[in-house]
Amino acid sequence: MTKYLRILFTVVVVIMAVVAGRWVWTDYMHTPWTRDGRVRADIVTVAADVSGWVTTLNVKDGQLVKKGQLLFSVDNKRYQAALDKSKANTEGALLAWELAKHKYNRREALNNQKAISEEGLELTRINRNIAKANYDLAKTEQALAQLNLDRTEVVAPVSGQIINLNLRQGNYIGQGVSVFAIVKSDSFYVTGYFEETKVPLIYENQAAKIALLSGGEQLTGHVVSVGKAIANTNTQSNNQLLPQVQQTFNWVRLSQRIPVDIQLDTLPKGIQLSAGMTVSIHLATD
Amino acid sequence: MLQTVVLGGMEFSPLVIYIPIAFILSALTRFALHRLDWHDRIWKVAWFEVSLFVCYFALTVYLLSGR
Repeated sequence: MTKYLRILFTVVVVIMAVVAGRWVWTDYMHTPWTRDGRVRADIVTVAADVSGWVTTLNVKDGQLVKKGQLLFSVDNKRYQAALDKSKANTEGALLAWELAKHKYNRREALNNQKAISEEGLELTRINRNIAKANYDLAKTEQALAQLNLDRTEVVAPVSGQIINLNLRQGNYIGQGVSVFAIVKSDSFYVTGYFEETKVPLIYENQAAKIALLSGGEQLTGHVVSVGKAIANTNTQSNNQLLPQVQQTFNWVRLSQRIPVDIQLDTLPKGIQLSAGMTVSIHLATD
Repeated sequence: MLQTVVLGGMEFSPLVIYIPIAFILSALTRFALHRLDWHDRIWKVAWFEVSLFVCYFALTVYLLSGR
């Protein structure tokens, strides 16, 4: 009897080990988790829509700004002069149009009295229409000049924090060249790079637990989207337009990593998040 | 709970903690069995000890990784 108890006890422990070992294997290999996650945020780059010297710089690096707040101003003398020129052009075009209208009205009366030819009347009618078109063109050019003048004052497109401000008063900046970035407030999210073998286990609105590398309280979130494409190096071509196919081992293949975006739920108070931080992500399984 | 082990800015799998814990627990059990002279109550000591290590390991993973 004692012998059978000895065997039974050992066999029970072995069976428990098989079950426990299987659980650990499944937990590591067949559940959607990754240590390859990064905190991200909406980054808005700021560029001036007009070129010129920076005359005033109203912000500092790292400063919090509100949407619409003046960030910096570009020298507006050229744009003010252009606007004044456009206004004068518009005024001239308006007068030319009024003159053309006047001529046409007068000729119309003369034509009724058969004092001028039909051709003469038609000529003044067309001249009146040309003057009207010129006036419309001048108005549009004035609006464009006004827009350029308005755009010499660069305002924050979103509320957030200024990052990497290297712009200084007196710098010359080109049109459309980004000069710094704003990290949009409350726009933090997480992207986890999951092995492609785990992608079938991931779905939208799946709950996620997120642990920062810096420790502290775990964050929670839910899956927003699973990336539908990643770059394929085999599709690149050389300068003869031949495909550059990468060599691989037949026995050992690395699984690709697919980006999965996770929206964060309510953040704990006082948490310090920076875009680029490393996180570990565990997605809930049914 | 324990998701990663950070040493000097390098990130390691928490297995580097879990496996030594399971090993220490196994060693303590082996020591206790030896002191109590219960080894003869076990059929195959090697099977038993390996299985116990796996059980301790799974338990450590379950408790420390916050599952």
